[in-house]
Amino acid sequence: MDFRWDLIVEYAPLFLKGTLLTIGLSIAGILIGTVLGLFIGLGKMMRKKLWALPFKWYINFFRGTPFMVQILLIHFAVVPAFLDTTNAILAAILALSLNSAAYVSEIFRAGIQSINRGQMEAARSLGMTHGQAMKYVILPQAFKRMIPPLGNEFIVLIKDSSLAALIAAPELMYWGRAMQGQYMRAWEPYLTATVIYLVLTLSLSSLLSLLERRLATE
Amino acid sequence: MKKLKMVTTVLLVSLSLILSACGTSKTGGDGGKKTLRVVTDAAYAPFEYQDKGEVVGFDIDFVKAVAKEAGYPVKVEHVGWDPVFIEIEGKTADIGVSSITITPKRIQTYDFTVPYFLSKNEILVPKGSPIKSAKDLEGKKIAVQNGTTGQEAVEKLFGENNDKLKKFDNNNLAILELKKGGVDAVVADNTVIETYVKNNPKDDFVFIEDDGTFEKEFYGLLLPKGSKLKAELDKAVNKLLDNGTYEKLYEKWFKIKPDIKILKEQQ
Repeated sequence: MDFRWDLIVEYAPLFLKGTLLTIGLSIAGILIGTVLGLFIGLGKMMRKKLWALPFKWYINFFRGTPFMVQILLIHFAVVPAFLDTTNAILAAILALSLNSAAYVSEIFRAGIQSINRGQMEAARSLGMTHGQAMKYVILPQAFKRMIPPLGNEFIVLIKDSSLAALIAAPELMYWGRAMQGQYMRAWEPYLTATVIYLVLTLSLSSLLSLLERRLATE
Repeated sequence: MKKLKMVTTVLLVSLSLILSACGTSKTGGDGGKKTLRVVTDAAYAPFEYQDKGEVVGFDIDFVKAVAKEAGYPVKVEHVGWDPVFIEIEGKTADIGVSSITITPKRIQTYDFTVPYFLSKNEILVPKGSPIKSAKDLEGKKIAVQNGTTGQEAVEKLFGENNDKLKKFDNNNLAILELKKGGVDAVVADNTVIETYVKNNPKDDFVFIEDDGTFEKEFYGLLLPKGSKLKAELDKAVNKLLDNGTYEKLYEKWFKIKPDIKILKEQQ
């Protein structure tokens, strides 16, 4: 198979630009998604069923519908409703954050509920409030257990950010597709993008395993 | 637009090659009115596409009408983009119809009938837009479909991959972006744009022609070099252009009137 390296060299600055945006979108998505996910997870665990209901449906919606549809809806309907124009980067960040929040919230819930009831009871009997017990006893332990599933979610998020190409956010996959459209060659752009995505996800997973080792108590 | 077909087709070529190699029907032998084998790449609505497995579209209706006029029965088969050319070159099929642009390069290897379709790029803008020609697009945000001649034309004018150009997966998304105010104009094929304007009067869009800037492309029926059918089919095409059949088919598929004069001028 002939492989046109010269085309990749020609597109390298654009791939770099795209990669930077992909990293930016992913970081924004991870940060906002995690904070939002924590609140939604806590919301879903509320004892009053009625109060938990909106959180439950938030998760149902964002987890149960295709991300591609979500990103199109947000770009062409939600963002224009507020800004009166489209903004691909804003729409991509919103879609990634809202979507990952749904998954992250379930990871949080799983983490928190995996801690033995006795921990909460012991903390409360020491005189801590429910909030204090959560903050100082349950969450630090739960967080450690959440790292591997969170890592999964973040890696999925990085790859999902490629769907922002659909709304012409000039990220990595957008430039891959642009190159394909210009030269009618599939492998040069897509394999290049693949390698870059792999580098990004590998870096993230090594960061996470570093964090895991830092937090190891045994 | 057709010459910049999506690369997906290319990925299927190897498979199609194998299939076409074993699936060629015998069309040899002359005399009488034999059934013509028509090959197409049915992945380009509304020109040719598959409706529940049946190949339909403007091109298909047209080629059937032409063959009928010339007195031939036809059998239309979907074979894929590259196989269309391979089959016609190898004379295993009689006619290729797939929105094929007549180009000097292709004329070296194939024959074409007289042109039966005009394709050119046009600009879609909201009514009252300051954009009146391709020149006015300078500095404006433009949406196109990735991999089309519309994209090529805009990049030729304002530079490749410039910041103001947004490439979408298909024309519908590009037009939606214009509707939502994300861009100032869309550049796409005339049929796409004019049909959209006609079918969506509420959007208050208008189309702008700029024949000085955007090159015209003409589609022809693809024939093997030296095909004996050419004279007969040319006559049939002209008959349809003259007797209103062509206009009827065109309106059926595109809901707008064709420019027949310009097609005749090309002959």
